[in-house]
Amino acid sequence: MAEAQDTPRAGDLAFERLYRSSRDDVYAYVASLLRDAPAAEEVTAAAFERAYRKRDRFDPERGEPRAWLFGIARNAALDELRRRGRQAELTAEPAGLESVAPAEGAEHDERRMIVSAALERLEPHERELIALKFFAGLANAEIAKVLGIGESNAGTKLHRAMTKLREACDGNA
Amino acid sequence: METPRDDRLAAELRELRPTPRPEFAAELDQRAAAGFPRRSRWPRLSFSFPARRLLIPAGGLAVIAIAVTSAVVGMNESGHEAPQTLTQKADSPRKPATRLEDSASEAAPPNSTVLPSSAPTAGSSAGIERFSEKATPQIRHRAVERSAQLVLGAAPADIADDSSQVLEAVHAHDGIVMRSSTREGEPGVAGARFELLIPSAKLSDALAALSAIDEVRSRHEATDDITAPTVAASELLQDSKARIDSLLAQLEGAEAESEREAVEAELAGERRHRARLRAQLQQLERRADYSRVLVRIETGAGEESSGGGAWGVGDALDDAGKILAVAVAVTVVALAILGPIALIALLAWLTHRAWVRRERRRVLS
Repeated sequence: MAEAQDTPRAGDLAFERLYRSSRDDVYAYVASLLRDAPAAEEVTAAAFERAYRKRDRFDPERGEPRAWLFGIARNAALDELRRRGRQAELTAEPAGLESVAPAEGAEHDERRMIVSAALERLEPHERELIALKFFAGLANAEIAKVLGIGESNAGTKLHRAMTKLREACDGNA
Repeated sequence: METPRDDRLAAELRELRPTPRPEFAAELDQRAAAGFPRRSRWPRLSFSFPARRLLIPAGGLAVIAIAVTSAVVGMNESGHEAPQTLTQKADSPRKPATRLEDSASEAAPPNSTVLPSSAPTAGSSAGIERFSEKATPQIRHRAVERSAQLVLGAAPADIADDSSQVLEAVHAHDGIVMRSSTREGEPGVAGARFELLIPSAKLSDALAALSAIDEVRSRHEATDDITAPTVAASELLQDSKARIDSLLAQLEGAEAESEREAVEAELAGERRHRARLRAQLQQLERRADYSRVLVRIETGAGEESSGGGAWGVGDALDDAGKILAVAVAVTVVALAILGPIALIALLAWLTHRAWVRRERRRVLS
């Protein structure tokens, strides 16, 4: 009996794997939504905590674990935004957030600024799509599950968002 | 289809991806390794005690509560009925059903008629005068009409003897035999029937005497409060008397013949009205003073006699059925109470959930 208690359950191991593979992605997505590093850390931790408590209720037939996890993170982030009474403002480089910055030169920095500025001009829901795709690294099917829409619909919306982003980049350039 | 420009844009976006502080990542790793222990910031009950886990003990408690309530109610019901059953089966059938007597006495004490305790009792014509001349509108005692039904079991050969004893008991308690009939024959055919009027003050004693004649198979008593119609009739009678006195005074003072005739006519009408009220009141008083008692003497196997006086399997099944019926009733009542509450809670929860979803959508709109 003691051995059984000491041995991690299969569900715990699966969650451990999910956590390891998604920790930074969840944080990136939540940070993009909140634009606030301390709040993003709180919400990320809360999202994993909620997911851990609900792990027994996860139904593999209803989607991928990552989509389920990001759905929880999305709700936690939106709840936080509601609490703060702020509109979600996605940004490429939220204040106080660290990002990978190779800094390969002035031209590269200028390009990053152009993309950031272009992101600012997108609608919030379009910026969320881009965050899910490129910050969190979700597939279109997973994005569709997180947002509660069809996969083709998600693909179409993402394509439109990218088109607008490219046009905005071209306009800024 | 992605173009090289799209690939480049995607790469640039990935470069803008926020990354967590190493300290935060390490702290979160520790929390993950510890199974995400609860933080004091959001102490939510649902995390430590999921609703599913609470359902089982809550359901168990509900079942236990229903069972206990059913048992208590069932025992109480059995307790009320047991003396009657025992009396009906009567190991010693000569004994009267004392419990029923007690309860009947509590419901309608012998003196608790419309009459004051100092007044003459039962059936005297003076009762009319009590109301018509002296009674006040605020009658302190209740006027209660009582009735009883007694079924005795006897052998065909005992019918005549038992019938004689019934008559003796009636006369001994100043009762009146309204109707009676006896029939001889085989068991199940032979029998007797008596419709009696027994002074209410002596009803308990009379029933005890009648119950002692033979095996009591069933005994029922009933009471009916007739205070309100009695008081109403009494008041009307007083009003009528006052009206008659007034008319008599008018008659004495009348000088013209026509006036005298008019008053006399009115007086005659009022006296007829008073007579009707008096008869009505007399009838009510008789109902209160005398109790109707139906005595039947049956032969053959009675419904209750075959089992004897001991508590047997049939009684156990009967009691079990009653307890089950009470349990069902208690469950239905509990559902009737809890159902709407649960429905309201469900609606509130659904409304809250819909509101939260709408608010979440609105945040990004």
